[in-house]
Amino acid sequence: MKLTFARTGFFLFLLAFSFLLLPQMTHAAVNESEYIVENLSTADIPGDDGSGLVISWKPLPQERRIIEYRIYRGITPDSLFFIGKIDVNVKTGVMGDVMYYYDTDYNYFLDTQAKGKLRREKGQKKDGSLFRRYPRDVSIVGPQLEHYDILGVIPEKDYYYHNEKIEVVTETDTTVYAGLKLHEFSGMYKKLIADHVYYYSVVAVSESRYYCQHAESVIGIPRENAPEKTDRFYAAFVEDVPRLQFEWKLAVFADDHLDHNVYLLHKKDFDKFNKYLDEKIQKELNDIAVKEDSTLAVYTPKSQNPAKLIFARYCGYPYTPSQTAFVNIVEGKIVNDNRDIDVKIDVKNMEDYLFVFSFTDRTGYETFSDVVSANSTTTDQLPIVPPFMIIDRENDKGDYNRVMWGKPIVYLTNSTYLNEKKTHLQVNYDFKTNKNYKVRNIFFKVFDEEGKEIAYVNEYYQDFKIKIKLPENGNEMNTLFFEMTFKCNNDVGEDYILTQILQYDEQTQSLAPGDLYLEDENVDDWEYYIYKRNYSDEEFRLSKKVAGTQREVFDNIRYGNVHFKIVKHFDDEKNLFLVRPSFSVRMDDEKKATIASNLYPEEFEKTILQYEDEIANYVASKDTLESEEEIKNADDAIEYYSKQVELMKDHPIQKVAASFNNPKERIKFLDKSRHYAKNSFEYKIVKSNGKGIFTETNIYIREGVEPVSDENIYLTSYTGNGIDHFFPRSNWFNLDMLPAVIAALLFGSLVFLLIKKAKKGHDLFIRPIAGIQEIDNAIGRATEMGKPILFVPGTSGIGDVATLAGLAILGKVAKKAAEYDTKILVPVRDYLVLPVAQEIVKEAHYEAGRPDTYDKGSVFFITTTQFAFVAGVNGIMVREKTATNFYMGMFWAEALLMTETGSSTGAIQIAGTDAVTQIPFFITTCDYTLIGEELYAASAYMAREPLQLGTLKAVDYLKVIILFLIITGTILSTTHLTFLINAFPEK
Amino acid sequence: MKRQIPLLIVIILGFIFVIHVFVPHKASADFYDWYQTWIKAISPFMVLLGIMSLFMVHSTKIKRKVPNWQYSVITLASLIGTGAVGFIWGTQAGTPFMWLFKNVQMPMGATMFSLLAFYIASAAYKAFRARSAEATVLLIAAIIVMLGQVPIGIKISKLIPETSNWILNVPNLAAKRGIAMGVGLGMTATSLKILLGIERTYMGGGK
Repeated sequence: MKLTFARTGFFLFLLAFSFLLLPQMTHAAVNESEYIVENLSTADIPGDDGSGLVISWKPLPQERRIIEYRIYRGITPDSLFFIGKIDVNVKTGVMGDVMYYYDTDYNYFLDTQAKGKLRREKGQKKDGSLFRRYPRDVSIVGPQLEHYDILGVIPEKDYYYHNEKIEVVTETDTTVYAGLKLHEFSGMYKKLIADHVYYYSVVAVSESRYYCQHAESVIGIPRENAPEKTDRFYAAFVEDVPRLQFEWKLAVFADDHLDHNVYLLHKKDFDKFNKYLDEKIQKELNDIAVKEDSTLAVYTPKSQNPAKLIFARYCGYPYTPSQTAFVNIVEGKIVNDNRDIDVKIDVKNMEDYLFVFSFTDRTGYETFSDVVSANSTTTDQLPIVPPFMIIDRENDKGDYNRVMWGKPIVYLTNSTYLNEKKTHLQVNYDFKTNKNYKVRNIFFKVFDEEGKEIAYVNEYYQDFKIKIKLPENGNEMNTLFFEMTFKCNNDVGEDYILTQILQYDEQTQSLAPGDLYLEDENVDDWEYYIYKRNYSDEEFRLSKKVAGTQREVFDNIRYGNVHFKIVKHFDDEKNLFLVRPSFSVRMDDEKKATIASNLYPEEFEKTILQYEDEIANYVASKDTLESEEEIKNADDAIEYYSKQVELMKDHPIQKVAASFNNPKERIKFLDKSRHYAKNSFEYKIVKSNGKGIFTETNIYIREGVEPVSDENIYLTSYTGNGIDHFFPRSNWFNLDMLPAVIAALLFGSLVFLLIKKAKKGHDLFIRPIAGIQEIDNAIGRATEMGKPILFVPGTSGIGDVATLAGLAILGKVAKKAAEYDTKILVPVRDYLVLPVAQEIVKEAHYEAGRPDTYDKGSVFFITTTQFAFVAGVNGIMVREKTATNFYMGMFWAEALLMTETGSSTGAIQIAGTDAVTQIPFFITTCDYTLIGEELYAASAYMAREPLQLGTLKAVDYLKVIILFLIITGTILSTTHLTFLINAFPEK
Repeated sequence: MKRQIPLLIVIILGFIFVIHVFVPHKASADFYDWYQTWIKAISPFMVLLGIMSLFMVHSTKIKRKVPNWQYSVITLASLIGTGAVGFIWGTQAGTPFMWLFKNVQMPMGATMFSLLAFYIASAAYKAFRARSAEATVLLIAAIIVMLGQVPIGIKISKLIPETSNWILNVPNLAAKRGIAMGVGLGMTATSLKILLGIERTYMGGGK
């Protein structure tokens, strides 16, 4: 057989693809049993909310070349679904002896990205038990819902307007749900349910993506546990007030936490308390043991908690709760009626008491911290919180509030000697300020160890470094003292002085910064906690925790709210997931109860009637009740339902909602009202040393502001909005962009003026650009040689202005080429550039009167891969022997590869790009290069039309203005006048 | 109409996106997000355009048996083959597709990229030939900057790294900023020309 070019190519191609089977073939010879993971087991995660399991197994040896381990879970051993994987580096394998996978918290369950149909896992037979992820099919996913705690996240608009009312009728009652399609959920997340049985298996996947046999499935049962213990709790006693202050570290697993509590324990009861703790631990262990073996006896603790509750607060799940609290001691007592707290305490003998902190969870478990005694202090030893204020952050879309406090802070960060004699020192610094204090100058005074001033720097332009000239004995100076002051737009006061030392550090062999002091206060000792609460929250939450040097924070407030709904039911006929149609609007301040509404007005009315019936039933049943506990329960129920009915009937929000006849208008009102409730926040600040010594401010109240008018119905019942609650506003104009707007308007005006001038026939001088002038000659050369022209319109996309400029030049070149009947080849790298370039070349041929010479195949796509594109273009240059090469547009590293090849084929080359890094390569290898802006000027230069020339000339005039501003700015800055450079935004 | 409607779309949307830069309002941000979803929807169709073009160009070459048509056979076979293995076995690590990527495409790409080193040497030789006063200045500056980047530079003289830094941070940076400013203005002018309908070449033809 004759070995032709085609046959050789085909043979090589087959050879390359035969390698694909290599990995599969290598696996075929091995023993399958060696690829099954061993020691697969599950264990409950301690200290969590009862929804966590850890799955562990022994990884396969490195020589098995495993690429990933896939984990499967199900509620029966014969149907396990893929839930996650752990990737493994094939070369190194797994370092440890055990691998872990944590199936805990809310994590992915289902979304619209899921596959449509249920599919068995790769390598599974028809009766195999492993499946891929849950599909979008409601009939398959629906029955799984009851075995998990499923949280559906639904965007507001979808919940309000895209639901379908579904009535589920059972033998006992009828329940109304809101039915939603899967795509109306932004996602569904699952949590395991405590005491439910789950099955797990693991599959190892080899390097060749061979799915090995799965391990025998194992059972996992998550168990309810007591909360984890906090390892940091501090108590402080402020003697002169008197007041007790507490601070603690928050837990990692806090999903089921209910309250944060503090107890007072008399020292004499310490042993009793320890016994009580032992019994609690025993009870927890017994609870789990009984669940696993029901024949075991139930353990009942005998002792009572000798510690007395002095503080309790709802933890405010799902937000990060506060981690500080204080209780006032009034007349020797700590009293809180809401929590039934009434405890006597002897403030004169505070050393007799101990304090203990606890987390309680929703199942009644409680975990205590170690007991601590209170550190005594007085109010003058507590930190002073500078005045703070809240304003809406400017120039944003309405998703930030600005919290700011105090005066600016400057601190040294490091230093470097600039010469060997150590007489020149560069000191780097940083400063923090806020909107109230715009820093104009920072003054640095430097003193030696003897207190002699050795340098003074006026930092009028803050570039975060200063240079100091030290005396000749600079290398002997081990300590420098810095005094730093400010000049701001608002007066900071003459006595506002920050001090810091630079001390020689042997390790770094440089002067390292010490602690920063503001008067006598070590700034580094303190932190600021920003607490906030909206109309829907019962308690404050921790928004931010920042260092003592910080002077403002931007508090993010998401403007797009979502509804979190538990998904337990489904309708497989209509393909719907069912959620509760009731939703909360806000919290009522007085009644401390949620104001709830319903998607369907008639259901809202029914709920009121239902509650009224409940009240009547409880009232009637009271006569028949005997025990005090039953009567109390009935009273509590009556109080609860009465409160709810009152809120549903009489609250202003409900009254306004009821006044709408149009259901959509009603929902729109409730949506907006809820939006104000969720996104309006009140703030307070705590300054703390992290150990219970802190000062907490009152809630910030803006003075001199009128209350919200009732005319805006959406603000019904939000009278404090703008005074104590702050709602971030969407801004219609970004003031930072003002200079850009002025420049744009100026430029636009110049363009119009100059176009008008050009149209009147004025000769607008445009400096000659050699590269453009030579385009005609280059095309002529190709024509004379009878060779094609190559035009590369950059390697960027259509969204790049340089590509558009390149395409504009292509139009002119293609027209000329068509006139001369010269072939033009246009390889492109971007899909969207292709049809545009094709249309341009086609139109150019039509304009030149030569539609017959247009060849659609002359403009073609090669590849999006950078260097493969280069290979393609270079191949064209070599094979077609192009006479003229144009490179017009954006280029990266491929530029030199193309132009050097073009240069070696002897083509005349003209390039144009705005890529600064590629310009040198073009200049070196091309005959002519359009540098930067010349690329954009080329089409106007070639067209010579008044419209184009006017624009080009306007650019020149704008350049003159910019040049003037640069020179003026330089002169002014040199003379310490920085107003001009400050007038322009930094970004 | 064939031209006016697309032109109108460009002008209206162009001005909307110019306004979007200055308006941070929620309405503006939401509109931009909505537009981004359209981009995602359009992207797959763009891939089709490219593949169709590739097929047309190379199938024509094979059909007409133009010189070197065999390359076109390999190109199309590779395109189909790579696509097929991707569709059949997926694109995860360990699949034949990734094998092809790692063992065929990556080495070939790296080969092309490594050629750059030789091309840079060749280009540098051309640039540094001291044929004129400007080229001589360029040559001297390049030598100083190169020496300033290597330890031997400071051994020769402490002035070399300092001069090297000065060249990079003062004249070089000034020139780069000058070009960047010109590019910025050029981009603005081109964008304005497109928005005002002065520049219409991108629609195919100037009129």
